[in-house]
Amino acid sequence: MKKAHDVGGRREDFGPIDRSDHEIEDWERLADAVNYVLNAKGHKTTDEMRRAIESLDEYKEMSYYERWAAAAELLVVEKGLLTKEEIDARAAELERRWGGA
Amino acid sequence: MSEHGHEYAHEEPRHERSSWATRIRAVEELLAEKGVFTKEEVRAQVEYMEARSYKNGARLVARAWVDPAFKERLLSDTKAAAAELGIDASGPVEFLTVENTDEVHNVIVCTLCSCYPRAILGRPPDWYKSSAYRSRVVVEPRKVLGEFGLELAEDKRIVVHDSSADLRYLVLPQRPEGTEGMGEDELATLVTRDSLIGADTPRVEAAYEPF
Amino acid sequence: MIRPAAGARFASGDAVRVLDTEKEGHHIRTPDYAKGKPGWIAQILGSFPNPESLAYGGDGLPEKPLYKVGFRQSDLWDSYEGSSEDILFIDIYEHWLESRKHGGEEK
Repeated sequence: MKKAHDVGGRREDFGPIDRSDHEIEDWERLADAVNYVLNAKGHKTTDEMRRAIESLDEYKEMSYYERWAAAAELLVVEKGLLTKEEIDARAAELERRWGGA
Repeated sequence: MSEHGHEYAHEEPRHERSSWATRIRAVEELLAEKGVFTKEEVRAQVEYMEARSYKNGARLVARAWVDPAFKERLLSDTKAAAAELGIDASGPVEFLTVENTDEVHNVIVCTLCSCYPRAILGRPPDWYKSSAYRSRVVVEPRKVLGEFGLELAEDKRIVVHDSSADLRYLVLPQRPEGTEGMGEDELATLVTRDSLIGADTPRVEAAYEPF
Repeated sequence: MIRPAAGARFASGDAVRVLDTEKEGHHIRTPDYAKGKPGWIAQILGSFPNPESLAYGGDGLPEKPLYKVGFRQSDLWDSYEGSSEDILFIDIYEHWLESRKHGGEEK
């Protein structure tokens, strides 16, 4: 298992703590909510979500909610609820629909 | 760049046009179309989380400060004590409240991810989720707390709790001096979000927004 | 105890050590920094479904006893700069712990 998440004590890797709060964005609220609803309906567990997050190759480069979105996607595909192709297609359509604005 | 020639790991990059923002919306739409859930259920969950904040914790603390029997119940069964105040923390995770004393100051972390008593306190602060906090507070807690502006007496024992499993932790801070005349509602205004994690302590001159 | 823990191997106060093993490709909840370190059982928390099984869609059974394990910070870190009284607690599953007592003597 990649260990990017197991950071306890690795102080040489990390510097000052940024104490600012960023206003949560709507898509982040959505990532949060989709995660919980899928859990509540028994489609996945918190433990699977953690495992999925830990497996992300780009863990260090991703923001907190990007990891949640990526992990939720990984799991719904893994469990056969959706295919990556469907998600790719719909994401592309949404980009067109919103015109990138 | 650090003197070792490598950058500190990225912290929470802010991607305004993150592709993941579009993808999670795609996932939601598709799952709703397939009947896995409804958009209404997702909306209700968004509202559920928005309704949760550290103020739930502040109420628990204020009640514990004025009512010693409640304090004991909070320490022995946090979930039940929360329910007494109308805070629904039911669910598969368990909670444990740890008490600050003259001898001991507690601080909470989840080094492996970002476990936090969300059902009571809502979302954790960004810093709590950061790799910098998670990595450093276990090995240099006094220094980290100092960066938060918290200077503890030298003889105070610092106790760090790494919530690595099924428990979520809250800190019960000490009631500050000079609050003898205050009622419960006013006491609650002294309890900051960060003091429930152990990165701060309530102080009379630091009253925050009114309840 | 927060939940029942029938058959828990350890009792409050027991001297334990965290196993120092690698489980490549597995999801575990024992942080690296604790591996091989000596501590004590502060509290039996109860039995919970095994996260290592749940993480891959398993049913998490049999449940594993979970303990609040205390460590002296000076035992965890080579050059801990704080007080020798400072403590760190981690919640650790029973199968990651071994007894430090052998023939009445702590290892």
